Amino acid sequence: MPLDTSSYSLALLRVDGRRWNELRRINAQIRTQAAADGSSYLEMGHTKVMCVVTGPSEPFGPARVGRTGAGAGATAGASGGEAGVVVSIVVAGFSSVDRKRRGRGDKRIQELQSTISSALAASLHTHLFPHSTISISLHVLSQDGSLLAALINAATLACVDAGIPMTDYVAACTAGSTSTYAANDESADPLLDLNHQEEQELPGLTVATLGDSDRVAVLVCESRVQVSRLEGMLAVGVDGCKQVRAILDRVVRDKGRKMVQEGTVQKGVGLEDMEVD
Amino acid sequence: MSSQHVLLSPAELSYLHASLSLQPLPLRPDGRSPTQFRPLVAETGILPGTNGSARICFADGTEAIVGVKAEVERTVQPFTQDTQTTQDEGETPAEDERRKEEVGGSDWVEMTVEIPGYRDDDPTTVFLGQMLQEALLADGEFTKRLRINGRFHWKIYLDILLISPPLSYPLPLLSLTTHLALLSARLPRLKSEGDEDPLFDDDWAASTYVYPRDNNKKDGKDGNNKVVARPPVTLLVMAVGNNIIFDPAREELAVADVALAVSVGEETTTTTTQTGGDDDVDMEEGSTPGKRRLRLLSVRTIDPPSRLTPPGVPNATNTAYTAPTGTAEAKTQDGARTLETERVEGVWKAPRGGAKVMVMAALVAKVLEKGGVADEVLDGLEAVDLG
Repeated sequence: MPLDTSSYSLALLRVDGRRWNELRRINAQIRTQAAADGSSYLEMGHTKVMCVVTGPSEPFGPARVGRTGAGAGATAGASGGEAGVVVSIVVAGFSSVDRKRRGRGDKRIQELQSTISSALAASLHTHLFPHSTISISLHVLSQDGSLLAALINAATLACVDAGIPMTDYVAACTAGSTSTYAANDESADPLLDLNHQEEQELPGLTVATLGDSDRVAVLVCESRVQVSRLEGMLAVGVDGCKQVRAILDRVVRDKGRKMVQEGTVQKGVGLEDMEVD
Repeated sequence: MSSQHVLLSPAELSYLHASLSLQPLPLRPDGRSPTQFRPLVAETGILPGTNGSARICFADGTEAIVGVKAEVERTVQPFTQDTQTTQDEGETPAEDERRKEEVGGSDWVEMTVEIPGYRDDDPTTVFLGQMLQEALLADGEFTKRLRINGRFHWKIYLDILLISPPLSYPLPLLSLTTHLALLSARLPRLKSEGDEDPLFDDDWAASTYVYPRDNNKKDGKDGNNKVVARPPVTLLVMAVGNNIIFDPAREELAVADVALAVSVGEETTTTTTQTGGDDDVDMEEGSTPGKRRLRLLSVRTIDPPSRLTPPGVPNATNTAYTAPTGTAEAKTQDGARTLETERVEGVWKAPRGGAKVMVMAALVAKVLEKGGVADEVLDGLEAVDLG
């Protein structure tokens, strides 16, 4: 299904009717699951992801470690003085249009796991939990582009829900460019938040930043792109990350306020200093 | 899931076992009655990209999502068909046609189970998947619904995701979620006729349910059209002492004498008894509140984790407890032998041997009881809005 780039240059509207700098609808929930230490549900357009965090907890015996080593997840962080962050991703067979089953040994999934694991290990204060494991299990229910970004955002929200101290949100977003690698046109626009169709056709990258700052935590680019386009794409991506961060923050604050109102948790001392209104 | 250990001491296990085998009613750790299910939250049609989907959350926090995907597949023609018809001389073409319609392959359904922390080729997950698939196929009705024409059929992929960590043996949860997902599953309406290459209506609103509804009968509660037939459910039942306990939690399963997975389906004759007049079946049912005839589809014993629990040591044979004497060594050897044979009151000992036939029969009878748990569960699931 070729992307009709000519129509973009006419109306400056993308296939799903967005402008170049518009995000898809992001809908997120935290504390979706009672049994877990932390959990979240995130929709970016039609990409739907669920995350469950267990821990920080003591690793379960040698059998568990062996199983992890056998390919159930990717670990980051030293085992001694810091908590290990184990990420395991399950891509449901029904998530894409045609049913396609992916085993856990799939190289692409392993790469996603290790990317998320190292990104979060850098933001979480793992040194506070020596000899323990934070296990993050992610479930992909529906895929429509920007999968890595959605996974990172969901994992961040679940870690916030689990109450694991962290430096700041790791907010992620994708960016692309309207011109292909071959076409050397000068009027190419950078695009924010690619959907599946755009991801197939156009060069794109996933970028995650640490909170509101411009500090890039993750940068993954798997397509060929002209180097002159890269700066524009990155700038748009980082800008998108700030928007995503604001959305995630609002979700967390809304849930926190609701929980205080319902009396689930006591209003903390620190909460009064923050602007909660 | 015998690998799923519960970290309880022999003393705790003994206490649990004693309270669960109390007469007349067992005392369960979570205060439920022996036939009570955990309360649950259910929703269907959550994923628009699937043919049918459902999500169930049990009150203890375990959660599962099931998605159904369907693909058109070419039916493999059995090679022996011609030779068979020549052998059966009396068979008319009409009968042959009828028999062909009844045929449905067990490979028309593919089921996968994903449990976080377990590999997909782990014996536990494979066993769970097989058990659920077996129940679905034992019905014999399900694969018939997947037939398109003589040359093509639907292949159904059922992907079962356990979202939460496996806090208890997830079989009932997965089974109920699969049940709802199948109920909400829809297939595009067939436009072509006969054995042509299938052509479907691309209007999703015109699609038909895999388990069809009766448009005339409305469910009282939410205006759902009454489902004529339903997929099976698999219930987990266990026996402790003389008590039968449904939907056991993890700790309860850790002291089970016998654990059974019982799959129950609905008798397909329900439609005729509902619409039809005064045959004897109807009269028989008139006395019971639930107008449903349950059918046993399959029974599987589950290896309860209780078999792997460490036994307690009675004081009589405990060398640390009795004063060590010169003959201590001989005494402990003696004690070890008695430990193997005798059961001391209040000291935990893992159950040995298989399930007794009487116990199995009692368990199955309890499940199939009219107005019993299976009825209650099916009633509960009927109340779920199928969107």
